[in-house]
Amino acid sequence: MNIPLAVQCERITKQYRHFQLQDVDLSLEQGTVMGLVGPNGAGKSTILRIIMGLLGPDAGSVKVLGHSMPDHQIAAKRNIGFIAEDMRLYESQTIDFHMGFLKSIFDSWDDEYAATLLRRFDLIREQKVKGLSHGQRVKTTLMLALARRPNLLVFDEPTTGLDPAVRKEVLDEMMNALEEETRSILFSSHNTLDIEQISDYITFIYGGRIIESKNKEDFLDDWRRLRLTNMHSSQLPNLPNIKDAQQSGQLCTVTVYDFDDTIPKEFTNAGLSVDSIERLTLEEIFLSNVNFAKGNMNKDLTL
Amino acid sequence: MSTSIIPQLVKKDFLLMRKVIFISIALSIFSTGVITQLIGEIPDWTLVNIGILFLLAPVFACGFMLMMFTNVHEKEKSTQPFIMSLPVTVREFTFAKLLFNLSVFSTMWVAVSAVALYICFGLGLFPLGTFPFITIVLLGIYAAYTCGLGISLLFQSTGITILAMVIFEVSTSASLWTIAYMKPIANHIYGANPVWNSTAITIVTVQVLIVIFAIVATLFIQNRKRDFI
Repeated sequence: MNIPLAVQCERITKQYRHFQLQDVDLSLEQGTVMGLVGPNGAGKSTILRIIMGLLGPDAGSVKVLGHSMPDHQIAAKRNIGFIAEDMRLYESQTIDFHMGFLKSIFDSWDDEYAATLLRRFDLIREQKVKGLSHGQRVKTTLMLALARRPNLLVFDEPTTGLDPAVRKEVLDEMMNALEEETRSILFSSHNTLDIEQISDYITFIYGGRIIESKNKEDFLDDWRRLRLTNMHSSQLPNLPNIKDAQQSGQLCTVTVYDFDDTIPKEFTNAGLSVDSIERLTLEEIFLSNVNFAKGNMNKDLTL
Repeated sequence: MSTSIIPQLVKKDFLLMRKVIFISIALSIFSTGVITQLIGEIPDWTLVNIGILFLLAPVFACGFMLMMFTNVHEKEKSTQPFIMSLPVTVREFTFAKLLFNLSVFSTMWVAVSAVALYICFGLGLFPLGTFPFITIVLLGIYAAYTCGLGISLLFQSTGITILAMVIFEVSTSASLWTIAYMKPIANHIYGANPVWNSTAITIVTVQVLIVIFAIVATLFIQNRKRDFI
C-alpha cells in the first residue's frame, strides 16, 4: 500500500553566488519523522525554506501535503507548523498576544492544548517576549506551532543553543506531537543525538547535496567498524564498501558500509585477523559520510 | 474559513503601533491648537510656514515610524519568518502592509489637510487663489511618503529607507519652491479665485500618478520576488 507523502521534493536546485543546492530529492511519508543532518552551510535551511515556500527553487518541484509549492502555499501552510532558529516573535508583546493572533487565523487552534503546553513548559501568558530566555522563546514558538494542530511540523534547528533540560522538553513534546498518526515532522539539526532519538528516517546533507537518505535502523545496521590485526603487512582487500581505513603499526581500523557477514571473511582471506566488529553511532556514520563526500567533491574539483 | 489573513495582519500591525498612532494624533491636535493661537499674532506667510511644519511634522513622523516598524523591522528583527510561516503569500503580505500604512497615513493626512485648508481659507487668511498651490504642497508630501513607503517595503533596510526619505523630502521641497516661482502658478497665488490652469492640473496629475505608480510598482515588484526571507 502506498503511504501518502507529506513532503515530496523532486530534483530541486537553487543557485546562490557561493552555494548551490543540487538535484535534491526528498520524500517524507505521512506520520513519520525525518531528520536532516548536515554541517553549517550544507543546505538544510535552504531546503526547509523551499519546502515552506519562502524560497523559490530554480528548478525542480515541491509538493507539501499534496499542494504544489510555492504556488499553493496558502493551502499548504494552513496545515504546517514552522519553527526556525532565526525566527523571532514580537519583543514588545506578550505570549498571549501571539496566541490571540494565531487563534484569529487558524480555525484549528486548540485553546485547551495551548493551555496544557503553557503549563508543561512553565510559560506565563502575560509575559512579554523580550523578557523570555532563549529556551523559553523556543518553547513559546513550539507551543504556537503545535496548538494550531498542524499535520506537518517543519523545524529548522529547533534545539540549537538549548540547555539539556530544555532540549529534552522540546524533543519530548515533538514526540508527543506524533501521537496523531497522520502528523509528520521534518526537522534539521547539527545534533545527531536529537536526530537519532526521534527520527524514523535520516537524511545526510553536505555541500548542497543529499549524500544519503534512509531509514534510521538501516543506517545503523549498514555501518560497522572492524578492528583488525595486520601481522604480515598484508594489503587490505579491494572492497567498494570500505569508507575509511587507518593503520597504526599492526593495528588497523576499517569503517565499512553495506555491511554483511561476508565482509569479515574477505579480511581474513587477505591475511588479517578480525579482533572485533563494532556498530557505529549516528554521529560516527555522519562524519564518515561527510569525510567520504568531501573526498569525492575534492576529487571532482581536481578532475 | 476565510482564505485571506490580510485583515488579521492589518489588525496585528495596528495593535503593535497603536501607541505611536495615538501619540501622533495627540501631537497633531496640540499643533492645531498652537497654530490657532498664533493666528493674527504673526504674519500670514510665516504662519503658513510654521503651520505646515507644526501640522505635518507629527503626521510625517508617524508615517515614517510606521513604515520603519512595520516594514523594515519585520525583516531586521527577524519576525518576518514567523509571519511568512502563516498562510500568506508575498503579495498578500505586501498588500496588508500597504493597506495598513496607507490607511493610517491617509486618514491623518486628510484630517491635517482639512485643518490646514480651513485655517488658510475658512478663516480668510489667504485668498482662494492660493488654493491650487496649497493643494500641490499637500499632494507633494503625500507623493513623497508613498514613494518612501514603497522603498521601505521593497528593500526592508533602515539605511536605504532613511536615505530614500531624505532624497524624497529634499526633492519635494526643491520642486515645491520651483513650482511656487513658476509664472503660471505664481501669477495667481494672490488672486481672489483659484485658477486651475494647465500647469496646475499637470502638476497635480503627475503627483497623483506618482502615488499610483509607487503603489502599483511596489505590488508588482514584490509579487515577482521568488525569495522572501
